[in-house]
Amino acid sequence: MTMRINLTLNGRPRTFSVQEHHTLLDALRDDLGLTGTKECCLVGECGACTVRLNDRIVDSCLVLAAEADGGDVVTVEGLAPEPGRLSPLQSAFLEKGAVQCGFCIPGQLMAGDDILRRYEHPTRHDIEEGLAGNLCRCACYYQIVEAVEAAAHGRAHEETQLVESAVVREMPPHVVDQ
Amino acid sequence: MRAFAYVRPGTLDEAVALLNEYGSDARVLAGGTDLIIRLRDRTLTPSVVVDIKRIPELAPSIERGDRLLRISAGTTMTDVCSDSIILESFPALAEAASVIGSVQIRNRATLVGNQTNASPAADTAPTLLVYGATLVVVGLHGERRVALDDFFVRSGVTTMQPGELVTAIEIPLPSAPQGSAFTRRTRRRGHDLASVTLAAAVGRDGSTRLAYGSVGPRPLVFSSDRGEPPLETWFASARPSPTSMRASPEYRTAMLRVLAHRALATARARLAAA
Amino acid sequence: MNGLDGVRAPGPLIGQPVARVGGEGRVTGANEYVADFHLPDELHVKLVTLPVAHARIIAIDPTATLAMPGVRCVFTAADVIAAAGEMPRFGPQFNDRPVIATGEAKYFGDPVAAVAAETRDLAEESARLVRVEYEQLPAVFTIAGALADDAPLVQEGTKTNVLRHHDIAWGEVAKATAELVVENTYHFPMVTQFAIEPHAFIAAPDGDGIAVWSSIQHPYWLQRILARVLRLPLAKVRVHAPDPGGAFGGKQHAKYEPLVAFMALKLGRPVRLVLSLEETFVAVRRTETEIRVRTGVNNDGTFAFQDIDADYLIGAYADIADRVVGKGSYIGNGPYNWPAARISARSILSHTVPSTAFRGFGNPQINWAVESNITEAALRLGMDPLELRLRNLASFGDKFVPFDTACDGQWGQAVRRVAELIGWDSPKPEGRGRGIALGIKSGPTTGLSYALVRLLADASALVYAGTSDMGQGARTIFAQMCASELGIPVERVSVVSGDTAVVPYDQQTSASRSTVLMGNAVVTASRQVREKLVALAGGDGAPTDELVRRALGRMGGEISAMGEARKDAQPDHPLGGSAAFFEFNATAVELSVDVETGDITVHKHATVSDVGRSINRLQVTMQDEGAAIMGLGHTIMEHYIFDADGRIRNLGAIDYRIPTSMDLPEEMLSDTIENGDGPGPYGAKGMSEGALLPVASAVAAAVRDATGVVVRDLPLSPENVWHALRQRDGQ
Repeated sequence: MTMRINLTLNGRPRTFSVQEHHTLLDALRDDLGLTGTKECCLVGECGACTVRLNDRIVDSCLVLAAEADGGDVVTVEGLAPEPGRLSPLQSAFLEKGAVQCGFCIPGQLMAGDDILRRYEHPTRHDIEEGLAGNLCRCACYYQIVEAVEAAAHGRAHEETQLVESAVVREMPPHVVDQ
Repeated sequence: MRAFAYVRPGTLDEAVALLNEYGSDARVLAGGTDLIIRLRDRTLTPSVVVDIKRIPELAPSIERGDRLLRISAGTTMTDVCSDSIILESFPALAEAASVIGSVQIRNRATLVGNQTNASPAADTAPTLLVYGATLVVVGLHGERRVALDDFFVRSGVTTMQPGELVTAIEIPLPSAPQGSAFTRRTRRRGHDLASVTLAAAVGRDGSTRLAYGSVGPRPLVFSSDRGEPPLETWFASARPSPTSMRASPEYRTAMLRVLAHRALATARARLAAA
Repeated sequence: MNGLDGVRAPGPLIGQPVARVGGEGRVTGANEYVADFHLPDELHVKLVTLPVAHARIIAIDPTATLAMPGVRCVFTAADVIAAAGEMPRFGPQFNDRPVIATGEAKYFGDPVAAVAAETRDLAEESARLVRVEYEQLPAVFTIAGALADDAPLVQEGTKTNVLRHHDIAWGEVAKATAELVVENTYHFPMVTQFAIEPHAFIAAPDGDGIAVWSSIQHPYWLQRILARVLRLPLAKVRVHAPDPGGAFGGKQHAKYEPLVAFMALKLGRPVRLVLSLEETFVAVRRTETEIRVRTGVNNDGTFAFQDIDADYLIGAYADIADRVVGKGSYIGNGPYNWPAARISARSILSHTVPSTAFRGFGNPQINWAVESNITEAALRLGMDPLELRLRNLASFGDKFVPFDTACDGQWGQAVRRVAELIGWDSPKPEGRGRGIALGIKSGPTTGLSYALVRLLADASALVYAGTSDMGQGARTIFAQMCASELGIPVERVSVVSGDTAVVPYDQQTSASRSTVLMGNAVVTASRQVREKLVALAGGDGAPTDELVRRALGRMGGEISAMGEARKDAQPDHPLGGSAAFFEFNATAVELSVDVETGDITVHKHATVSDVGRSINRLQVTMQDEGAAIMGLGHTIMEHYIFDADGRIRNLGAIDYRIPTSMDLPEEMLSDTIENGDGPGPYGAKGMSEGALLPVASAVAAAVRDATGVVVRDLPLSPENVWHALRQRDGQ
């Protein structure tokens, strides 16, 4: 069973057909040819499929394409202000070395972008929490957090804090479970 | 996943009619964070999925009435854990909602859905039990109310009848100062399914309410009027699964005590500050 | 090993945190991984497996599946045999693995059939309708089970499930004595790589040959295997290897590429197979290991002997796991001088997922045992665990493994630096514990890398280097090296990799070799280009742009050279060759334990690696920190959970936990020791695995320090720590 879907995708109105049982992730990757959003766990744990739907980030593997009908969708392909230019967050990711294999990065960017929209001055804890739904097995978490922080504070060119020649990364003390 | 038809009723009556027409062949889709997983692993194979998110009465809303706080079926965990009334009067609920999954999950998962799925590990269930929540259930018969404690039967099973859906949760606004807290045990700090969930509330009158989950087929709630709550008696009802991957029965039972101690301490501290 | 003629001073680009080559595509979503790539007219493949660990396949009935419109075939062993005349078998060590299960399914997840259909939905739906008649057989999936006298044998034609013994010894351990003997048994569970990109494979007929796309780390090795099983010349087998989305060893060796290749040739169309995350869990994993260590130490803190038995449970097919056992155990003693040692390791077959390479390659397991035992020895001697290690640490030039490469670094410097970073001698805050552990791994023992450098008429350059850039940043450092040697901006260098028809041969991307081997090849080629340029230009002494103008004149053209880096095999060596270098790491942690719940909070994690020379300091830091966090994963939360029948219960992301952004040490301090004493460009060594090796040992030592609790079986999950605490308290 198919249905016609209308939505705004990265700022452009789109109309297309989807299988009713397909997810938004399926539609983006297979029907719309936008492969920037990635497929990994398919159970809403890894965040590789994160997109923005109606102004909130979601795991697109857990959203039916049909549910996005009439909605507004932003994917990683929609983050750049224009072709050939990068957003401050994208630039910060590159400058802070937050990209290794890159497979989790589209999702991390969508989550990072969301943090920047929700907080004017996110703390490290806000950022940690906001990125908690995005797994990175290369584990460049510190660099990703720093990139979001740098973009938040417009400090994309600031040097990483160095202690002598060692690299020191600090996270806030953990809030211990009660 | 197996193909199904997607329908999107625009009114509550339409939704109820669809659910009655298809019975167990239909599933309600709200947040989808539970349903989609089950559709993919085929633990559920409905022929129709009924998306209730376009029904105006069910649109996300948290409304304070005279004596009740009413949370509609479309209200997400993100809405819940950022609502000022909930943060003020029902902090344990906000705490529970804030640890469910990730931002991405919380933006979709609904508070009502966390109850209707009837997972014993549902994080918000113990808090709603402690707060004495009621579910508003709508069917062909009209509307009825069910105390949450009477709603859960066992894992995946509630007292909802075929053709019904839950439209709202009602929580009695506290008439006297109370202190409450939520806590849980997980395998890592990052988001996880809980191996024990626990909520506690204490009142100036010396009353205690405590609920726990994930140590038996359904979350349980207990209350005592005054004095030291008989925790050991309350814990005796725990039936942790011997086959669970997440934690052993021995650990879960021990953690019940640790969590109760900690949650009560926090609840008491909050009461003192209130 | 041949490579560069002497270590030259690095140019200004070397060591710089140059922006990652390929970074832009990764932040815009434009970078294509295998699964992002589609061929016209492609078919979708879904694997069919059985819900048991071991079974005899009686019959496969495809009727219901084939009846679905759009299903093109149900491919089984019979189809492969029809095409090849017999069932081809392959594997990096032994040709033991059939292209698809034949006669028996030998592990939970072993594919018995593969369906090809016009759409992904169809493939998934129709695969469920394939009826397999099978007889469940007894399975062995534990070390004890596989070694039992009456254990069913995993592979035909064997007498035991012990595949091989790996023995190394010196001194005479049997006669050795020591004033203190510490003897314990340790356990390291099965864990999986869990790259965020699941494996993906595409095959398509290509003229009279075949083209294959794979997330493979070793494209040329895959090419060789495909050529052999398909009976095609190498020149007719083209492997495209887009940068993998994380690999960690789990994408080194052929898995389902031969299968999809046979399917593509039979069907005459491209076929694509993208694994689900759950399917990757039953495709690749680390070996599970039980290690018995008997350590002899004298009261003055000098090491006397080390006596180790290590049993590694490998899977139903050897893959590279036997090599993991051999190489991991070989240096199991660690970076110390031991007068006497005996290490006996066994690779033991089982009806489980074929284990394969995984960052650390057999070393993390043995490190877990050996370093924990050394910590215990220190405690029982009343000695500082740092001091005990320093006292016995190999010095530069020591033949700490008598018949192998001598100690090649100032390891004491790294150890002292990590102690400094963690504040080892400073007073400990209340309730906290500290632990220290050292890790060592042999680099590559053989190697062969070719690099082609082409300097173009506008003084930009192309580097063809077959290394797989799976996140470690290989392209970036090759661009830096080439740019540095040619005297051009790094932005003017493009690195081409991932196509065996275009890029010259590279043996493999593993063992942290690529900085050294491919790096040497790139630098050699770049220097040869530079020499030719200078000769053609009639002398040096001008910027490269100008030299190129002079050299190429009006006709333009290009100047190219091929560089080679080779480390020849030494057939008499137990590992086939001595280590090109060692990866050495010192790790220290400071943590506290919630004694009521068993939760560990790592307050500080310090890691120092001896890297020779950072080509790109930022990338080195990221590799070390990433390895450290990955190590925390297997230390605290990762393990396969089996049921009584040998089936894995926690497939997928919900019940297999890996570290998230919320699970990080509060403070991570990383540093490098760079003495330019490596065999790679500018004195570089390889790195990326070292920082993972001693994490578990350091954490367990800190837990012991904080609580007195000893844990010898990983993971140190909250529940496991809690149990150990109760045992400590006699409950």
